[in-house]
This record gives sequence, C-alpha cells and structure tokens, in this order.
Amino acid sequence: MQENVLELSKVCKKYGAFTAVDDMSFAIPKGAIYGFLGPNGAGKTTTIRMILDILKPDSGSIKILGETSALNVRKRIGYLPEEKGLYKKMKAWAIISYFAMLKGMEKKAARQRAYELLEQYGLKDFAEARVESLSKGMGQKVQVLSAVAHRPELVILDEPFSGLDPVNQEVLEQLINDMSAAGQTVIFSTHIMQHAERLCSRMLLIAKGRKIFDGTLDQARAIIPRRVILECQGDIAAVLHTDGIIGVTEKTPGDISDANGTRHWEIQIQEHASPQLILQRCFENGIPLTRFDYTQPSLHDVFVHLVGNDAREHSFR
Amino acid sequence: MKMIWLIALREYAENVKTKGFWIGILLFPMILIAVFVFQTVLAESAPTRHYILIDQSGRYAEAVELAIRQDHQRRILQEFVAYVVENRKDSNPEVTAANADAQIDQLISDVSADEVAALDQWLENGGLNFALTLATPNLREDAPPFVAPREQFIPAPLPEGIDPQDEPQRIIEQLRPWLTGARQLVVDGVNSNLFAVILIPARVDETIQRPGIAPMAVNQNSNGMQYWASNLTDVRLPNAIENTINSTLRNNEFARRGVDAQIVREVQRTRLPVSRLDPTAEQGQEAVSVADTIRQWAPVGFVYLMFVSLMQSVQYLLSNTIEEKSNRIIEVLLASVTPLELMMGKLLGIGISGITTILAWLATFLLFIMFYPSTQTEMLGQLFNVMLSSDLIPYFVFYYLAGYALYAGIFLAIGSLCNTLKEAQSLMMPMMMILMVPLVTMTFIAQDPNGPMARIMSWIPLFTPFTMMNRAAAEPPMLDIVGTTIVLVLSIALVLWLSGKIFRQGVLRTGQPPRVVEIVRMLRHRH
Repeated sequence: MQENVLELSKVCKKYGAFTAVDDMSFAIPKGAIYGFLGPNGAGKTTTIRMILDILKPDSGSIKILGETSALNVRKRIGYLPEEKGLYKKMKAWAIISYFAMLKGMEKKAARQRAYELLEQYGLKDFAEARVESLSKGMGQKVQVLSAVAHRPELVILDEPFSGLDPVNQEVLEQLINDMSAAGQTVIFSTHIMQHAERLCSRMLLIAKGRKIFDGTLDQARAIIPRRVILECQGDIAAVLHTDGIIGVTEKTPGDISDANGTRHWEIQIQEHASPQLILQRCFENGIPLTRFDYTQPSLHDVFVHLVGNDAREHSFR
Repeated sequence: MKMIWLIALREYAENVKTKGFWIGILLFPMILIAVFVFQTVLAESAPTRHYILIDQSGRYAEAVELAIRQDHQRRILQEFVAYVVENRKDSNPEVTAANADAQIDQLISDVSADEVAALDQWLENGGLNFALTLATPNLREDAPPFVAPREQFIPAPLPEGIDPQDEPQRIIEQLRPWLTGARQLVVDGVNSNLFAVILIPARVDETIQRPGIAPMAVNQNSNGMQYWASNLTDVRLPNAIENTINSTLRNNEFARRGVDAQIVREVQRTRLPVSRLDPTAEQGQEAVSVADTIRQWAPVGFVYLMFVSLMQSVQYLLSNTIEEKSNRIIEVLLASVTPLELMMGKLLGIGISGITTILAWLATFLLFIMFYPSTQTEMLGQLFNVMLSSDLIPYFVFYYLAGYALYAGIFLAIGSLCNTLKEAQSLMMPMMMILMVPLVTMTFIAQDPNGPMARIMSWIPLFTPFTMMNRAAAEPPMLDIVGTTIVLVLSIALVLWLSGKIFRQGVLRTGQPPRVVEIVRMLRHRH
C-alpha cells in the first residue's frame, strides 16, 4: 500500500456563521501531483491554511507527514501563499536563501542553491536585482523558488499560475514535474483547468466548502457523459433511436437563417456506447452532415457541470 | 533560538539599509553641528548697524555713545573670556586655580558671577590690551591670535541739509527716506542702510517719570525721547540706550538729592556669594559644582534619548509588520517559524538597531566634543563625562530595554491588526499620547524627583521606565525602585504574552481593523 503524505478526515472550519470548509476528507499519496480545484471562495485557501496549521480546524483531524501538526514538520514542507509578496528591498538570491535558511538550510548551501535555482529557471541575470525592480511575473517566480529551495517533501502551492504569462506558466509546470520526478509531493490549487489537466495525477474538486470530487483525471471525465456533436441542414430525428443515446439537446443558435439553416445538436451517449453507430445511422438515413464531432469531456466541462450553478450563485452574492 | 537570530539579523540588516535609519543616525549630529556652527557664524556675521543720534538737549549724547561703546566692550570681554577658556594651557579648573597667575581666573569667575562689575573692572584696567598682556603667558603656544568682534553699532553723520536743531517732527520727516531704506547713507565711501535714529528733544526732561506722579502718555508729538527704526526684532540698541539714559538720569538724581553716585555704585557692586551645598554628598565634597548640577539634570537627557530612540524603533516595528502583513510574507514566515519566534526575532532585530542608533549618537557626540573645541562644547563634554561616569548608565540600560520591550510589544500587536499604516494611525493615537506624557513631565519630575507626581507616575507601568529614569539621580526610596521594577517586569511579561496572542491571530487577519470587542475576544482566545 502506498504511503499517504497527507490525510484529512472530517475537517470543518467556520468563520462566524459562514462555513468555509465542511466535512472535508481526503488523502494524498506520496509523489502525487495533486490539484485543488474549485471556484473562487470555495474554501481552497482555508483548507491549505489548515493543512499548514496556520489556522486551526474547528473539528476533524489532519495528519501530515506522519504528524498531527504541520508545525512539527514545517522544515519538510514548502508553501507558496495565494497572495504573492516579497520583501521589496531584498535581492532575489538573498530572499531565496533567507527562506531556505528559515527552513533549516545552512547559510552556504542555501546561497548556492539560490543561485542554482535562479539559473535553472531563467532568472540568472536577476539574481542580484532587488525584488522591487523585478516584474510581477519574475517576482512570483522568485517566490515559488523561495518556497521550494529547501527541497521539501511536500510542496503546497496556492494559485501558483495566476499572474504568469504562458511561457512562465510552462516553466512553472516544468518545475512541478521536476519536483514530482524527484519524489516530492506537490499540491497546488487553481481554477484554471488546463493546468490541472496537464499536470495532476489526482485532483480534488471543492465547492462551497464541500468536497465534490476526489480522484484521477479519467474518473473525473467519466462523471459527465461523452458527447457527439452533430451539425446538419435538416432534422436528425431518424438517428435518435440508436442504442446508447442518453439524451439529445439542440443547441442551434437563436436565428437559424444566420447559419444558413444549419442546426446544431449535442448527443449524450453512454460510456461504452460507440459513436460509430451514430455515424452509421446518419449515413443510412441520408442526413447531410456538415460536422460530426466526438470529444472527451474536458475537465472544464466537468467543472462547470459539477459546480456551475454554485459558482454563478456565488458571484452574485 | 536559531530562527529568532536569523529573523533578527535580517530585520537588522534590512533596517540598516533603509534611508530612515541613516537619517535617524545622521540627523542628531547634524542638528548638533548646525546649532554650533550657525551660532558662531551668526554671531560673527551680525551686520554693522549705522545709527544717527540727535541730542537737542545736549545732556545725553555722551552717555548714549558711551553705552554703545560699553556694549561693544562687553562683547569683547565675553569673547575674550571664551577665548581664554578655550586656549589656556591647562583647561582643568582645579589645576589652574592653584596657578600663581590667578588674575585671569579672577576675571573669568567675575564674568560668570557678575558681568556688570566685571565690565567696570575690565574698563578700569584698560580693557583688551591689558587683558591680553595678562593672559598671554597662560595661553597655549599654538593658540590663534584673539580677534575682537566687530563693532555692531556705529554712529553716522546726519545727511546734509538737515538741521539738527529743527523741530523733531520735521527732522524725522526729512530722514524718513533713509529710515525706510529708500535712500542710503554714505559712510566712509560705502553705501549703507540707516538702522535707527535716536532723537532726544530739547525739553526731554519734562517727560521724566517719577514715582507718585501719574505717568504721561508717550507719543512722538510729546517732548519724550524717540527711537526710530524699521527693524523691530533687534532690540539691543534701544535697550542699551534706554539703560544708559536711565542710569545717567539716576546719577543726576543722586546728585540733585545730595547722594554721592560713586557710593551708590559701590553699594550696588557689593554682593554676598551663596555657597550651594548638597547634604547628601560626602563630607568635604558638599560644595555644589557645575558637575553636580549637571548630574541632577542628566536623567532628563537620558529620558529624552530614550523617548527619541523608542519612538524611532516602535515606528519601524509597526511599519515593518504592516509591510509583511500587507504583502502576505507573514504566511510564508509562519509556515517556517512559530509566531513567537517571529515576534521575538523582530523585537530583537529592531531592538539592536535602536541600540546601534544610540551608540552612533553617543559616538558622534564624543567626536564632536573632541574635534570642535569651544566653550560650549567644553560644557557639553562635562555633561558627557558626568553621564558616562555616573551610576546612571545601568539605570538607563535597564529602563531602555524595559521600555522598549513594553512599547514594542504593544506596537507589534497594533501592527499585526492593521493592513495599512493609515489604519494603524487611529489605533496608534492613544499610545502616542501616552508616550508624550513622560516627555511633558520630565522637567517637573527632575525638579521634584521624589514628589507625589513622580511617585505616582513611577507606579504606572507605561511610565515607569521614563519616570524612574528621570528620578534616578535623586536616590528614590528603595520601595519605589524595587516595587516599580517588579510591577514593570510583570507588566512586560503580561504585555508580551497578550500581544503574542494578538499577534498570532492578528497577522493572518485581513480586512478592516478590529473593533475593541474583537480584540478582547482575541485576548481571551486560547491556544
């Protein structure tokens, strides 16, 4: 059995009457890249702060690296908070080595490691620059490096991608993959599904403080039915009795004349049903297809499917 | 402990790099130097003033001119005494007192005891030339030559076409363009402004005021003496004139009433010196010296030093905590160290910078005294010696550290509750006002160090460090020393404990600063 680096069971946290985290339980195996997904205000940051024992849960228990409090193992953990900030007057290398030293590294080793990381992740020329002179993205990279410089067993990154341009997002993905390859466990929170899709071996979906999903990417995709998208001029009623079809929704844009009479359908099919069969039926019935599309549901779709209503409701509060 | 050091070192290193720190360090010596240099420069560069004296009565002109010359002599005398004090071979008064040539010492002590009498003596003896002959053997060989100050008030001739015996009003009307600066006098071929016109009408004696007779209104139309000048701030000339005319007048009165003016003068110069003795001093040492007086007042200096340094430190502590809070560095820090370690590291780091500032001040003060010798710095040097040699240092060290711990704890808690300096200001206000109290009361307490106000304030922990420092030289009762120290130490422990609680919860707080109820809730919070 694989050893878990982190286990939460029945963790609750309330702020006055507002329940930030409700009955949260999950476990993270060693070496995983684990994504915390959820809309804004879902309780991701509160959960992370409780994991780090910066906040105390009202009830429930947390076991981290075999201890009941992260404070006992804080030197083995690396943490990047949601809101980014550094000492403005310090030099990039100094800040990385300072945080590494706070995590117990020796002065000389910490300094060497700082330069090494800056070179490795494209900031070699800025090692001697003061943080205030760096751009926001560069500053954020420095901060990520300062969180992981001491080679922690467990890395917790809260929204690490926000504010980074696509190139630097890739650099960060590389860093996360490198750490995972080195046997470090990485937890990161995000609301950008593409990163989670590319990186995560497992993910946790939270909304309104509650766990909605916990599992692998494939398990997540299986939650919503596979879809076939059809476009044609005319009707498709003849195909609708094929086996394996769960439902059909017409998604034609409001005014048909705009699309030259082309209509648009989305057909949900059972997990093991064959889309080939639908295509075959179309040919048999002489339906003039202009588009036939069979796609895996994206994590984005799963996300919207699971929390869509909640997230919208939240934004109106 | 290692983490506390690490945090303290970073705080210190960062603090030392800020402009504010260096401004703090340099400001004090710069003010000190500025004060002395400016004083000297201003004294030397005081412009020569030209005045016109018109005496229609013919009785006072001589006296006024004598007075102005005397005023000049007085300045020469003062400068000369300062020059001698600075440049004599041995500046230790005890040793020189035993020197055979006591005359010059007599002069110095006369000047400090009774300047008027000394001035008479000085003039009788022949003034500067005599004094120079007297002093030269006692001066250091490398002493610079004495430069007498320039004359400040020089009489100017009446411009042509003005009749000195004319109606006073007409004379003033004619002189008005010069008085207002519209026209300039030509004195020795140099254009210069007319500073003042002194006009003594012929029948000036009719305006003399005597006891028992109701005073008449004085205005320019009466026969009274007139002093015309557009400069209202330099009152040396009118004062000198008023004094001499009055003393001439009094001499005339003595003569009129059959009193020998010389006798009066001698009577006026008779004096009985009072020896100031201190009953608490050892036998044979009771005479109160300057050093003793300084010693009595030194605590005030320490209180002030403490105040300035604490103000600087707590402000830095506050703004620095708020910086960490507002950009959320605090979260990273708390994921690495405990709140207690963070708090202690900060207290230690900023505390060391505060001490650095004080040491830098003392060092520049010392250097200043060494390299800028003058009468005033000699005085400062004495003050410095008294401060360092007295038993006040241990008091200062203890009360400084205690005061720092107490106030830093409070300000750290305030900082942890606020996200911006602006928010902090409202919470800081009451603390700032409390901090002002010892500053306002420090002179009163120095005058009555064991009085009721001093004793009561000593027992209020927020004031204890300042008040007890203030009283340190006056040997306060043992009960006060021990009792207030116990109360103070307990309060520090309590404050640090409570602010630790607030700090732990406050640092992660976002949003509005808390209401009082919330702070109370934080204080009661357990873990």
